[in-house]
Amino acid sequence: MTNRIKTVPRYGTAAKERLYLPAIFEGLKITAKHLFVNVGDINSVETLEYPEEQPTDITPRYRGLHRLTHREDGSIRCVACFMCATACPAQCIHIVATERTDGIDEKMPAHFSIDTLECIFCGYCVEACPCDAIRMDTGIFSVTGKNREDFVLQKEQLLAHKSAFGEDTSRA
Amino acid sequence: MSETLGRKVKISVDGRIIEAEEGAILLQVLLKNGFEIPYYCYHEALGPDGNCRMCMVEIEGKKRPQISCDTFVEEGLVIHTNTENIRKVRREILELQLINHPVDCPICDQAGECSLQDYYMEYGLYHGSVEKGKKLHFNKHLDLGRNVMLDQERCVLCQRCTRFTTNITQTNELGIVWRADHSCVSTLPGRKLENGYAMNLVDLCPVGALTSKDFRFQQRVWFLTPTPSVCHGCAKGCNIFVDHARLKYHDDTIYRFRPRKNPDINGYFICDDGRLSYKALQTGRLEKALFEGREIGFDEAVRELKKSVECTTGRIVILADANLYTEELEMIQIFANRIGAWLYAPLESYIDEKFADEWLRNAMRAANAKGVEKLGIATTMPEIKRDTLLINFNHPVADSLDVRRRIDFLTHAEGPETGSRADLTLPIAVWSEASGTLINIDGLEQRCEQVIYPSDPVPTVIRWLEAYELGERCIV
Repeated sequence: MTNRIKTVPRYGTAAKERLYLPAIFEGLKITAKHLFVNVGDINSVETLEYPEEQPTDITPRYRGLHRLTHREDGSIRCVACFMCATACPAQCIHIVATERTDGIDEKMPAHFSIDTLECIFCGYCVEACPCDAIRMDTGIFSVTGKNREDFVLQKEQLLAHKSAFGEDTSRA
Repeated sequence: MSETLGRKVKISVDGRIIEAEEGAILLQVLLKNGFEIPYYCYHEALGPDGNCRMCMVEIEGKKRPQISCDTFVEEGLVIHTNTENIRKVRREILELQLINHPVDCPICDQAGECSLQDYYMEYGLYHGSVEKGKKLHFNKHLDLGRNVMLDQERCVLCQRCTRFTTNITQTNELGIVWRADHSCVSTLPGRKLENGYAMNLVDLCPVGALTSKDFRFQQRVWFLTPTPSVCHGCAKGCNIFVDHARLKYHDDTIYRFRPRKNPDINGYFICDDGRLSYKALQTGRLEKALFEGREIGFDEAVRELKKSVECTTGRIVILADANLYTEELEMIQIFANRIGAWLYAPLESYIDEKFADEWLRNAMRAANAKGVEKLGIATTMPEIKRDTLLINFNHPVADSLDVRRRIDFLTHAEGPETGSRADLTLPIAVWSEASGTLINIDGLEQRCEQVIYPSDPVPTVIRWLEAYELGERCIV
């Protein structure tokens, strides 16, 4: 542990910084500047009339809803290794593994579900996956449903999700 | 090992002076003293073999690093276990072991308890120089029979499995076939494993080559909690670890039994029947109290029990299962004295000569038969009259007795001892959900702690009888 401790030099020993007030007025100046600009022209306020207006700034690195990827032959890529479920801090991934009999691999998930009400969209599952089988590049940012069960996405739903940014990139 | 014990000598390991017996295996001495030495082929029960070359240490005065499993302790040895050179040697040997290894940890059941993984993290961390496409391929799922699956690609050829079948079970099913790179473990063509201890191979295998068909893909091992306990399969009382887990939205579940080392009873192994006996603990359980065919609450059940016992004018006979813990049997004994009942625990119905062998399997299939004898409970069959009330504590012979009135305390709802003939049927906890003491066939007393804490527990025998005695509510 000891070699991980880093001593950071202490800043702010000058008289102006020790007085605190100059820095506070500095901050207030910026706030006041924005206030006058916004009061002068209401259209300069950055708001989105959601849901009529949809966001246009979703980038490939945005962590949207999950999807399970496919192999070249279209079959499921996931081998049910439980790495995502292990890494998940919300414990919202539930997997039941089973024997895979089609000769492509030995193991696959019989059930794979993500409870999106419990999910915190941290992206650890994507990072943990050794097979690039789970990604969050769908660009979907809202899930709707009528009851709790609608928010638990099953294997089939996750496999049906499409990438919003092309198959070959995994930045989220 | 024990036959080579000699006088005490002093050796120096990494600057520490330790005392060891002359002629003892160096690796064993080092491990016992807490030094971390990697090894595959050595096993305490199987002895050294010297083929994996992982346990190299530097010995002063010797030209090259030596394998510590084939070096014997002598006076004045000066050993270094963690020099730069030794780490390099271990890393290179590990690289050789992994040449044809498929590195399919995601689908390997051994992941998490695999020596290859552990040593790679400790000594390896290199980039393999063999391309994945150039690796040799072998049979990846070979069913060896007796619930053992073989993956020849993952094997490091430590020969623990072949030595187990050759030296321990002496059934000689497994051998190494082919030469050099093409060597692999196999059975004779058309033959399978044919011994009742075959699943120990799964524990012996230091890598994922031999895996259990029963546990295959059931759970990842890092979710499991091992709790020490004692197998209730027969009166031998083999020590086990109960691997269980309580996962989110699931109840506390047992996934497997593993042997736990106890040189006085079972050594390092358990039999396959004992290993698979965990299934009976969580299937077909009786969960609700039944009175005349309808479900009743536990409080009402205690009242009905009291009513039945107090209204009886005839003889009351109590049958107690010899698998119950000594404390539970004692409680039944107190209960029998209080209500003036005759207590029996017939033992002959537990004897199963077909199950027995000379090693770990005992013909007496009741785990606490000696406990019954120690408490002085009658082990003969009871005498039943027309007006007898039978109170049965999970004893298997109850159904063969011709009684009119009967109260059953049962662990399982189905099976031969089904409670349909009883007026009152009360559920009791199985052994994994209670704690107590067992006395095995050789008279060794062993304490078992409670392993499983279910979300919806049923009362133990002690809890039922306490509620009866004290008139308390039966709260589990």
